Amino acid sequence: MATPSGGSPVRRRSLFKAAGVGTAGAAGVPLASACGEVSGGEGNVQEVDPTLGILPEYKEWPLPIEPDLLGDPPDHPSGYLAYPNPPARAITTPPGNSGSYQVYVPNWGPALTADDPYLLAMQEATGGTKIEFVQSDGEAFAEASTQWIQAEEFGDAIFMFGWMTNSHANFNETVVNRFADITDIVSGDIAERWPLLAGRGDAAWADSVWSADPEDPAGTAGIYGVPWTLLGGPGNAFFHRADLLAEGGFAVPTTVEELLETARAWSDDSAGRWAIGGSDYMSKAWFRLEATGWLWDGSGLVHNNERSEFKEWVRFQRTLTDEKLRHPSVGSADFDGKTLHRTGEILFDQDGWSRWWQMTQEVRATGENPAFALGPVGALTYEGREPMYHAARGVGGWLFFRKDLGEDAIAELLDVSNYAAAPYGTKEYETTFFGFEGQQFTYDADGRPAFTEAGVKGFQDSLAYTAMSGATEYLLEGPADIVEARFAFDEAIQPYLDENPFQGLRLTGPEAGNNAGAVFDEKVNDIVYGRAELSELDAAVETWRADGGDEAREFYEKAYKQLHGE
Amino acid sequence: MTGTGGAPVPPALPGPAIPIGDDESDMAVTTEPAGRAAETPPKTRKAKAPKARRRPLRHRLRRDWALIVLTAPAMVQLAVFFYAPSAYSVIAFMDYSPYRSLWENPIIGFTHFQILFQDPYFVDALLNTLKFAFAQLLFVFPFSIVLALVMHSVVSTKLRSTFQSIVYLPYFFSWVLVVSVFTQVLGQDGLFSRWLVGMGGERLDITRDPDTFMFLAWMQWTWKDAGWGMIIFLAALAAINPALYEAAAVDGANRWRRLWHITLPSIRPVIVLLLILQLGGILSVGFEQYQLQRAAVGWGASEVLDTFVYYRTILSSNGESLGTAAGLFKGLIGLLLILAANNIAHRFGEQGIYQKS
Repeated sequence: MATPSGGSPVRRRSLFKAAGVGTAGAAGVPLASACGEVSGGEGNVQEVDPTLGILPEYKEWPLPIEPDLLGDPPDHPSGYLAYPNPPARAITTPPGNSGSYQVYVPNWGPALTADDPYLLAMQEATGGTKIEFVQSDGEAFAEASTQWIQAEEFGDAIFMFGWMTNSHANFNETVVNRFADITDIVSGDIAERWPLLAGRGDAAWADSVWSADPEDPAGTAGIYGVPWTLLGGPGNAFFHRADLLAEGGFAVPTTVEELLETARAWSDDSAGRWAIGGSDYMSKAWFRLEATGWLWDGSGLVHNNERSEFKEWVRFQRTLTDEKLRHPSVGSADFDGKTLHRTGEILFDQDGWSRWWQMTQEVRATGENPAFALGPVGALTYEGREPMYHAARGVGGWLFFRKDLGEDAIAELLDVSNYAAAPYGTKEYETTFFGFEGQQFTYDADGRPAFTEAGVKGFQDSLAYTAMSGATEYLLEGPADIVEARFAFDEAIQPYLDENPFQGLRLTGPEAGNNAGAVFDEKVNDIVYGRAELSELDAAVETWRADGGDEAREFYEKAYKQLHGE
Repeated sequence: MTGTGGAPVPPALPGPAIPIGDDESDMAVTTEPAGRAAETPPKTRKAKAPKARRRPLRHRLRRDWALIVLTAPAMVQLAVFFYAPSAYSVIAFMDYSPYRSLWENPIIGFTHFQILFQDPYFVDALLNTLKFAFAQLLFVFPFSIVLALVMHSVVSTKLRSTFQSIVYLPYFFSWVLVVSVFTQVLGQDGLFSRWLVGMGGERLDITRDPDTFMFLAWMQWTWKDAGWGMIIFLAALAAINPALYEAAAVDGANRWRRLWHITLPSIRPVIVLLLILQLGGILSVGFEQYQLQRAAVGWGASEVLDTFVYYRTILSSNGESLGTAAGLFKGLIGLLLILAANNIAHRFGEQGIYQKS
């Protein structure tokens, strides 16, 4: 049952020897001599191999309605300009099920009550399976999930975003020990029962494979989850309020210098105006810092932390603090970028792509500000360097099942996943994301679903059935003008998207490196928010190297060399 | 007063006030030193104890079975929710992995304690914890006594109950609420800041400045917890026999003398009891308050033992054993402090947390 964490089991003391140590300790041997070795924490490498034989047989599920804008997925998604009305039916004969399950999901929207009419309607639509979604705030979910999963208390299934796995010590080890291996259920030809899941593609399913024994990755590989959306293209965006920029006579900045200039001109601390909101994860690319942290310099890996560009980034972030260009609540839990951006207290803010069309649509619906317009800032450059934009890769998350959930039960939940895998432009997608006409949404003048009062209050933004699976193909969504603008932005940004140096690997770094990284990041935050001085950075880098940074480098270098055959 | 539980049960409190009040009334007349007068009764009791013939267990059972039945549910609850989970503390001495059954984990002795004491962040967290604990002890605890005395001297019951409610209510607020109220009022974009900026001043920086975090924390403790301590002391004050004051007043004692010779000695057992309990929880200064403000003031100023356990041994690390070791250490220090404080209390003739027989 127990799986070694990639370390040699020889280092573990046997129970016999250990018992000896225990009695010796009890007999009054001094503290220092009664010490054994602590195992684990060496890190773990998993390969994402789309040629594995165990993957479900790919059978294309063509879009029933041709998109207006044809991109090149997944890095350049396609999109509809007009909402496909009426949407197509993806599933003609719904399954007949009657089970009842509990699924844990993170959630940023309103919480649904168990007898919400939407849930009852969905139960019927998906074939009778009753699912109770246990929703918790996403940030808290990420941290609490570490305990739920170890204690095996997460209902029958749990949805995890990829970024949440960072809260876990060694998620690769957790997966194979705590979640059900569904290989036997989904392997081979599944197009008969789950045509949409079969249409997800090898790339998505390969990213749901874990190996129980990292020494024998192919032999012990198994599929452990249902892949969520396959990500691609620009990962997130740094949005500007286009209307406020135009009002002040500013152009959309193209360099960090211009951004600072605009911010200085627009910010007014005493009037309660600060140009910049959240910028931490978006601004790193402007200084050409790596998304994974590691850069191959031709002979070895160098971490962001050690590079001169990092110091420039820290100085830039500190400037925002010192010159009061950033909203004072950024960096604390009170920061509510969405509201501040909507009211115009901040000019720029980072977020996922949905902010663009969702907020625009909401503001248009309320009519609170007819001039309101958002837009993404492109790949900013600093000191005339090459532009760079961090791309999103791999699947965004997984739905995992309880280890002892029976095969029939998992298959029944997969029926629901199959329903949720229907892409934009289908009736199934519409019910999953917008609800039911006349209840959660009505069609607006353009024929697009617009949430009703009940939809906004009880459903909008909530993660429920949306967590059951990603769609066969991700399509742009939103009002026509925004889909068009997003499509153009994606096209323009393609040459600047970064490459993941570890593409094809799923890595859990050694624990010492993770801990040293966490301590280092806290120090950097101290500097950025004015609690420590920039001059302390060099010492912090040295500490990071000594406390685990170099150990992490060794681990990642080994993985990199194996991957690229260096 | 940390708000993290461990609050003493109020009904136990007013009891001892009466006999000691009698002691003190003697003292007021004879002006004998308080120490000696109070020291005598336990001694005599101790001398008497061996003389009393012990009844056999069978007799005692027949006599007390009802009491045992009454306490059984509480014992079962304690066993299930406290003692059984506590037994798992043994993983502090193991190389624990959640993927093995408990007995398959090798026992490695004190390694985790060694790692803990060598961890510079643990030492920082420990020092911060002690700093906050002593600040609470020195600046919040006496404050609630003063508050209770002021309250006690207010004659108008209407004014008294209104004020009492205002001071007491924040105790029921969660830390989330307390912290956000403070941010709304004293934050950089809060009420006071806007007001100051409106008058041409600077924004307040107190909610984000690590150097003044202690002061901020003190304001939060006082606002949240001082009222609770006050209620306990008020209960003790209410139990003082008013005849004592009258007698003292007749003897010509002024307000201060009455406070010094009647009021304070009468609530001394309660003060000592609360002090001991406070000492026992000295390394548990709370978690939410520091965790919620960690992002704002940085971890350097706000890391305490509980947040250390959370951030360094639960999140992103295989730290089950290490975290348990930190918890055990905390418990051990607490136990030692309680025993020591209780012992001192007995020496001074107080009851402490349990009666010495």
